[in-house]
Amino acid sequence: MNSKISLLAMTLASVIGLGAAANANAANETDALAKAIAKQEAEIATLKQQLNKLTQLQVQSDQQQVERNALAIKIDKVADDVASAQNRYNRFSFKSYGTANYTSDEYFDNVQDTTPERRNRFDLERIVTEFGYQFTDEWSMEVEIEYEHGGTGASLAYDGFDEFGEFESEIEAGGEVVVEKAEIRYRPSKAFGVKFGNIHLPIGLTSTLHKPNQYLTVLRHKSEAAMLPAVWNENGIGVYGEISDFHYQAQVVSGLNSEYFRTYDWAASGHQKRFEHVNGDDLAFAGRLDYGNFKTGSAVGVAYYYGNTSGNRHKSNKLDVDGAMSIVSVAGAFVEGPWILRGQYLYGTLDNSDAITQANKTTPGLRPGNFAQLGSESQSFFVEAGVKLDSWINVPITAFANIDYSNPLMAVETGTATKRFENTWSSVGINYFPIPEIVIKAEGGLHQVAVASIPDTHFFALGVGYQFSL
Amino acid sequence: MKFKYSAIAFSLIMGLSACGGSGSDDAAPIVPDDSFSFVATEMITNLTDEVIVDGYADLASKGEALFNATQSLINSTAQADLTAAQAAWKAARQPWEQGESHIFGLVDSLSIDPHLDSWPLNTTDLQTQLNSAVGFDADTIKGWNDDVQGFHTMEYLLFGDGVNNNTKAIAELTTREREYLVALAEVFRDYTKQLDDAWQISHNPQDANALPYAELLKQPGTSTNTIYSSQLAVIEELINGMIGIVDEVGNGKIADPFGDSMTTADTSKVESQYSWNSLTDFSNNIIGVRNVYQGEYTGSADKQGLIDFVAAANTALATRIGSEIDDAILKIQAIKGSSDMPFRQAILDVEGRKRVQVAVDALSKLQASLESDMLPLLSDWKAS
Repeated sequence: MNSKISLLAMTLASVIGLGAAANANAANETDALAKAIAKQEAEIATLKQQLNKLTQLQVQSDQQQVERNALAIKIDKVADDVASAQNRYNRFSFKSYGTANYTSDEYFDNVQDTTPERRNRFDLERIVTEFGYQFTDEWSMEVEIEYEHGGTGASLAYDGFDEFGEFESEIEAGGEVVVEKAEIRYRPSKAFGVKFGNIHLPIGLTSTLHKPNQYLTVLRHKSEAAMLPAVWNENGIGVYGEISDFHYQAQVVSGLNSEYFRTYDWAASGHQKRFEHVNGDDLAFAGRLDYGNFKTGSAVGVAYYYGNTSGNRHKSNKLDVDGAMSIVSVAGAFVEGPWILRGQYLYGTLDNSDAITQANKTTPGLRPGNFAQLGSESQSFFVEAGVKLDSWINVPITAFANIDYSNPLMAVETGTATKRFENTWSSVGINYFPIPEIVIKAEGGLHQVAVASIPDTHFFALGVGYQFSL
Repeated sequence: MKFKYSAIAFSLIMGLSACGGSGSDDAAPIVPDDSFSFVATEMITNLTDEVIVDGYADLASKGEALFNATQSLINSTAQADLTAAQAAWKAARQPWEQGESHIFGLVDSLSIDPHLDSWPLNTTDLQTQLNSAVGFDADTIKGWNDDVQGFHTMEYLLFGDGVNNNTKAIAELTTREREYLVALAEVFRDYTKQLDDAWQISHNPQDANALPYAELLKQPGTSTNTIYSSQLAVIEELINGMIGIVDEVGNGKIADPFGDSMTTADTSKVESQYSWNSLTDFSNNIIGVRNVYQGEYTGSADKQGLIDFVAAANTALATRIGSEIDDAILKIQAIKGSSDMPFRQAILDVEGRKRVQVAVDALSKLQASLESDMLPLLSDWKAS
């Protein structure tokens, strides 16, 4: 311990003693030089540091430039993508409409029954989706898929506890899923276009006006459905276009099959949709000429359908005569200010209706029912009139009156046609649009059968419908 | 006494241990061999020729007789002619109703059933036709809806509306009704002949070389037979035919108009209500079942029928089903009670309703035996 303290004391003494003993001048110069050198060195160090920083900044700046360039490329790409997506999106169209109804009708148990019973029913009538794509300015396509009565489904289940284990198939729902339209269009000009695939026939106004805001009644017009396929689609090719206010259509399409013609709806059930393939041995012609546009306002128009129906029968040996069918339609619409008035008259003829009846009656296994007499002539019409009350009251309501008449058995080849299928439905009701895309409808009316002993019945219906397009 | 206790204790122990052991016992359960042998060729041949084909031949000849009987009505003022036509209608009704126990094959595939026996009758349209100025001929009537032709239209014209009686005076029969009747009877005759020909000559009216349907039934499994692949398929068809008509009579023809109480009973749904022939129809339906089961018509010499097939598997069951068929026929016939009450009156009568219920119960019991005891025998049958 003592030796350590002595050593420290000696060192201190020698430092103080040496400093005091040095030459004062020489010491000052050396100091100044040293200081200047130190200062310069410090400055150089600072400069170096600054240079380093600058170099770093330069590198960073270069990197940023690279990043900016990359980003710019990315931005360009995204912009391109967006533009392209926007372009594709603009070429794609999606629309949907649908209806759900509640109906209350009186029905009869059988042909002897004259005491009607009331039956109330709910029905998710249809949900329709339409997809379209505009490939180029000229080429486009559209597919319409309809789900009727909630769609349909079958399932197969395996039950291991049932006897030795059994597969069971079940029908889950009784609706339908159908492709209602699948067409490709080529339209080089407004005046001329071609469409082909599964196309809508321009026969019957329902083919044009089938969205819930396009007709006033809760259900689509019963008169048309009792005579021909409502929203009639067939496979074929058609030309169409508009020249000033004239709209024209001409089509060659797959024909009907007379095996399925029935008394109660004439040609309607002859629409070939029961099988995977549609027999195309008889083709039909359909044409239409309108002045004005039924979809957007006032118009008048005529349509004509002609086709043979015997060749499309599955049992080809049952009938050796033609079953040519022709249908004429005259329609008009007046839509002006608050007023809406629409009407249509349909008249049809069927050649050799007795021979077809006889062939159907002896063809085994035709379902439903194969005992129906066919009309050689058939007719139906409807007139609906509405007034938009929002011109007077501040609520978007349209009040309407409607009359539907159909007689698919207007005349028979031999004998007297029964009046049992001559129906008239008269009704009044309202359409309420809480927003333009949604309509709520109510309708009440009278159903009359032309047979005196069948009493008149009353019906009531509520419905809700929507439509929109992206 | 002690010995008895020991014996009981011993058997208990044995029993319990057997139960306890069964859980871990991996020996396969013994399936009793229920299979049985039966040579079906003679039975099928007999049922086809002596019951089915004979029945349709009978129907065709009764159809011809009915047509002749209606023709004599054209200018007649004799009540006896109308009575004879009524009798001819009832006579034609018998082979048809008995034949409903085997209503498969051509009646179905040629769609002849609705042309002959559509129900209910459309009296409104019928009246329209009777009021029209156009004449009647068989070809025209063939094209009309089935609900204004066939058995029940002729019945309505021959017997009247059947509300208070089943008789009609010849003077009430209008000229147009007579014309219509003749045309209807001609259509009817043509269809019954077509049906008979299809069983005996060619099963396809469009192809004269096609085999008679009777041959298809008698020779299943041959290369030219596209309908029946085996005798088993034929027997299954026959049993299902019996089940079908027992179900229809019990749950349809009787139960539908019967309703669940007198207030819901509906006489408008009674078949053959104009002639008051309903109970005869119903019992003939089940007699048809008996014909197929026994292999011969009642009172004829014994031939092979489905009873022999069932007896080969289980003689007690064969006897039981036979007696259940007889019982159902008797219970249907008993609905008329002691006062010869027609079915349309019985369903509106307290005592009548009790008798109807007894008949429905007998038919349900028979149906259960056919479905649960007879039909499953097919899977045990060793065809040879």
